[in-house]
Amino acid sequence: MKKVVIPCSGIGKAFGAVAREATYLLSDGEYNDMFTTICLPLLMTDDKESKRIVMESDVYTIDGCPKKCASVLVKHVGGTPAMEIMTPKVLAENKEHKPETVLDIGSGGRLLADDIVNLILKHGGSTK
Amino acid sequence: MTFKPKVGLISCSGEACSGGNISRAATLEVLHHLKPNETVTICLPLFLAGDEAEREFARKFPTITIDGCSKLCAGKGTTRYSSEPAVEMNLEDYLGKYSESQDERWRINDSDIIVNEIAQDIARHIDRLRDEWG
Repeated sequence: MKKVVIPCSGIGKAFGAVAREATYLLSDGEYNDMFTTICLPLLMTDDKESKRIVMESDVYTIDGCPKKCASVLVKHVGGTPAMEIMTPKVLAENKEHKPETVLDIGSGGRLLADDIVNLILKHGGSTK
Repeated sequence: MTFKPKVGLISCSGEACSGGNISRAATLEVLHHLKPNETVTICLPLFLAGDEAEREFARKFPTITIDGCSKLCAGKGTTRYSSEPAVEMNLEDYLGKYSESQDERWRINDSDIIVNEIAQDIARHIDRLRDEWG
């Protein structure tokens, strides 16, 4: 069964865009045989299929701000994230990988997304 | 001088399909280029995970939800956790079943024109809602 990566859906800050980029690097990039993603907002509407996936899979949440929407929603439907990543905390460990804007995360943001990917792969038993 | 409120834009930004990314791109176009001074955005999941401020904004001021598919998560979520949106847009009205494809869920490749069309329609709704306010 594929592992599920769920970013925060944030549209207001660059960190949300970085979370989204990291998700697609896993689900649509070279690791697409290991990872997939689902729509986070579906968890707000009590969508049964999304709930089932969250309950039955290893879920990795990537949040862009302290409100931790992705993690909160997964827990709201009864799931337990295998790993909860806070993008600003990853930046604190890699200070030169600073994202630019929500419209263009820039080279720093792409490096930060790579950092997140590596954290998840390390946790998930694979390395880049 | 008549008060005109900012309009809240709530995009589903759904990760799983092209419609979600197109809704996000169109919303960002309005927020950053077409109507930067007339709009605010609220991350949809904040209605559940956030504090009362997000819910209160949507109770007091007009909102437009921009959903990528007919599951209408943004419209339903906003109604459930805050208040009924002034305008509910369903991008399947523009994209048909393409909205459920995965072709552009990561990057916008071929949909620049439709993104701009949707953004222009959002902007027209914003002008109307602000004109009708009060």
